[in-house]
Amino acid sequence: MKVLYSEIKELVPGLKASPKEVGGALTLTGFMMDGFAEVSHKGKKDYLLSLEIRQNRADCLSVIGLAQEVAAYYNLKLNVPAIKPISKNTKKLDIKIEATEETKRVLAIKIDGVKNIESPKWLKEYMSFYGLNSAGLLVDLSNYVMMLTGYPSHLIDFDKTEGPICWSMNNSFKEITTLLGSVTKLNNNEIIIRDNNSILALAGIIGGKTDSIDIKTKSIIAEIAVYDRSIIRKNSRSLSITTEASRRLEKDLDPNGADYAMKMLVSLILKYTGGQVTSSLFNYYPKKYVSPKIQFDKELPSKLSGIEISSKDTLRILKGLNFQIISKNNKLTVIPPTSRMDVSLSEDLAEEVIRIYGYNHISTNETPCLEIVKNITPKNIILSEKIRDVLTALGFDETLSWPLTQEGINDKFNYSNLKEITTQNSVNDLFPNLRQSIAPGLLNQMNEYFKKGVEYIDIFEIGKVFGEKNKNYLEHDSLGILSATKNNTLPQFKDKGESLLRLLGFEDVKYFESKSKPKKSNPQSCWDVFVNNQNIGILYKLTPSETKLNIYFAEIDIEKITKLLVSVNNNPVVELTQKLIPLDVNIELDEGKSIFEYLDNLEKKINKKNIWSINIADIYQIKEKKRYTLRVTYKELSDKEAKEIHLKTFGLNNI
Amino acid sequence: MTEEQVKILLEELKADLQSADSSVAITKLWHKYFSDTGSFKLLIKKIKDLPAEEKKTTALIIQQAYKEAQDLFTEKEKSIKGGEMSGNIKSQSEDINPIAPKIGHLHPISKTIREMNELFTSMGFSIMDGPEIETDEFCFQRLNVPSDHPARDMQDTIYIKEPDYLLRTQTSSIEAQVLAKYKPPFKIVCPGKSYRNESVNKSNHFVFHQYQGVVVTERANMKDLFGTFQVLFKKMYGEDVVTRYRNKYYPEVEPGVGPDMQCFNCHGKGCPLCKGVGWIEMGGAGIIHPNVMKMAGLDTKKWVGFAFGLGLDRWVMAKYKITDIRTLLGGNLGYKYYENESII
Repeated sequence: MKVLYSEIKELVPGLKASPKEVGGALTLTGFMMDGFAEVSHKGKKDYLLSLEIRQNRADCLSVIGLAQEVAAYYNLKLNVPAIKPISKNTKKLDIKIEATEETKRVLAIKIDGVKNIESPKWLKEYMSFYGLNSAGLLVDLSNYVMMLTGYPSHLIDFDKTEGPICWSMNNSFKEITTLLGSVTKLNNNEIIIRDNNSILALAGIIGGKTDSIDIKTKSIIAEIAVYDRSIIRKNSRSLSITTEASRRLEKDLDPNGADYAMKMLVSLILKYTGGQVTSSLFNYYPKKYVSPKIQFDKELPSKLSGIEISSKDTLRILKGLNFQIISKNNKLTVIPPTSRMDVSLSEDLAEEVIRIYGYNHISTNETPCLEIVKNITPKNIILSEKIRDVLTALGFDETLSWPLTQEGINDKFNYSNLKEITTQNSVNDLFPNLRQSIAPGLLNQMNEYFKKGVEYIDIFEIGKVFGEKNKNYLEHDSLGILSATKNNTLPQFKDKGESLLRLLGFEDVKYFESKSKPKKSNPQSCWDVFVNNQNIGILYKLTPSETKLNIYFAEIDIEKITKLLVSVNNNPVVELTQKLIPLDVNIELDEGKSIFEYLDNLEKKINKKNIWSINIADIYQIKEKKRYTLRVTYKELSDKEAKEIHLKTFGLNNI
Repeated sequence: MTEEQVKILLEELKADLQSADSSVAITKLWHKYFSDTGSFKLLIKKIKDLPAEEKKTTALIIQQAYKEAQDLFTEKEKSIKGGEMSGNIKSQSEDINPIAPKIGHLHPISKTIREMNELFTSMGFSIMDGPEIETDEFCFQRLNVPSDHPARDMQDTIYIKEPDYLLRTQTSSIEAQVLAKYKPPFKIVCPGKSYRNESVNKSNHFVFHQYQGVVVTERANMKDLFGTFQVLFKKMYGEDVVTRYRNKYYPEVEPGVGPDMQCFNCHGKGCPLCKGVGWIEMGGAGIIHPNVMKMAGLDTKKWVGFAFGLGLDRWVMAKYKITDIRTLLGGNLGYKYYENESII
């Protein structure tokens, strides 16, 4: 919304503040000045302030509304010009209101004998400040009234209409040619103004070409209407038409204020174009809007602001904003003006007081005095932070990627039993699906790095992955780790991942051939990762790529390991009083038999009290079998005792 | 034993020491001359068998020769063992590798979140997260944004299943979740992703990051909110940061607050970065709207709260000199081998 400083000053005669100060005051009170320009108007130097208007303040999309704010801020009187009542006429207009649910109020009047001549220089100049081209005197006056009062008006060339004028829901017109000449397809659920044959306007949005005012126009119907804001918003958005009228009428605009706007419009038309009123004022207003009566606690502004705002200041501010105050039995009832449809609660009144009193009176340099409360941070957040620390220490860089993926990507990387989730209306239609794995994002990043010649590609991402099960939308935090290298091997990658798990506190880490292998994985090198016998993720080598790098990927469900971590009770500390005794044993397993399964069984039958560690010292392939050399290191035993236990455990007594 | 014989033995020792070149050889010489059966040890032992008239003179000669032999031996031993030690040190020495090891990096968004989290946890805040697939109820209705509310224009929504399921448009939805699930008092911050239905270009993205804060106690107020903001701004932008707080409309708060920071580029004079106004909008805040509290079942006579939301991406872009928002989500974001700008 733009406003000339001279207009504000005319409505607030006592104003002494400079144009910039006025802009500053409006910014502070909720209307941020985002533009300031020196202009010339009516031959004098003036200033044009551009202001961002709050979404719930339709009343301030007007010069008068903003002047009211300035008057209240500076505690000055607002001087709204008085306008003579419209002269009486008994001839009724033939108007029908069929869209009764959607239409709150319609005022209409007929004026004959108008001369739609060129606008005077000051009016053309005024229109240019709002980026509007002069469209002849009648239309310019209509726009001028809209800027001053906030009420859009619509002028109909009466001689171009046939039959009664009707406000109805569209169920017959397929398109409208707007007064700008463009053709808009209609959806058949708009509120329109029509006559017997034609669509005259998209109500509250834009007029049609059929009845538009031109240089020959002699007889007009001027109408000002207020609608249910949601229908205007819906129509404006669905037809992609936004106008100065729709911007105002898609907000809560006080139907009562239409009277003043109509009086101003009629008086200006009569003054500048000649003509005379030839009908009575049509007034459709079935449900008059009445302001709420709000019980108000004078202490509330102080309580919410944290500073002392006196009752005197509170009452002064509310009165300055034209709020009616009734004090009875030490209780305060406040009635806002009907133009303030945004005010209905005690807290709304408190905001009015605090914002006009000035947020700049609230100290910013005092240490916030907040009470001590319980820490409710979930463990998965703490764990994610620890994961970041460990992985960066291991040389991995963190990346972030798009949670939406292209068609077909999830199919290549998914290993869960969840269905893919698709968005319905993403404007980025090449990326319609929510990711099911972190892998695609990391792989994209790897390809970018490879293209750009980045040598070290050890990357990770923590983010949500998604899926649908039984019509429930599921998501969980997931960690993806990717390493792309020429020289490293899967065991080296696995060691890094396992180091992470062990540093997080998990010792019982095992790998079993994956039961659900992503299509992009090498099926011979794809493992489900288990911690404490629960599947917490996957580790695999990707199928060869153009990069000719060895690409390894692991993914861990952070929520699963968070739950497991709660039950872990680690104590890696021992008192060592004797030397450690390492003893080897060779075991042979058939191809396909899991060493992890063997070790799992071994751990069940071995007495852990005397074990320092079990490691695989060597692996040797013998035809269809694999020979593993296990090195079991015993603690707190003599050589003899250790040997006895070793021989017994591995059944070596008979050898 | 004649004096001559002693001299010969001493010369023999000198010759042997001359040719000894290792600690093994020197050990052999010790055995030859100074062990119990060694030549000099035997000489000493013979003193007691000497006739009384010779004892006085010969014993002195032998003792002097023995001492001289010991000194010669010790000197040679030190020389050989010392030489060998320095040889060992050299052969076992290792040089420092001049190549710096690769270190990992946190993403600038994570780094910024962590800095902010550290500040807020030091003030007793908890860190919370919530679902990214949200319901209309938690993303809008419980935040006082009914279906026909104009504020929905500010937030173009990506729907999973219209009208009920969507990708959260704001981290305020976490506020609604926490208000519904936890009993006050609490102080929380919630960093996270939000989604808006926007085309991706240099300045806009459909995914962006926000930082939400919520405090619900028996006496929270705007002074505490401003004080909290001020602590945050000083931490992130230094002690000299200039701020202002103005009234702003958000449906979920009443009164609403728009915190601004004086443009660091033009210091308030107006420049293209701040679109000529001299200030940069940092987010939104306010006292939690009574309707929001009531929808969470909270007694507004007892509990009062404030909430704030900040856009993280532009903070991060300014701090790390990133010019294209797309860089934050992969592709062009690279990490240098060295952390310090001045090295490479």
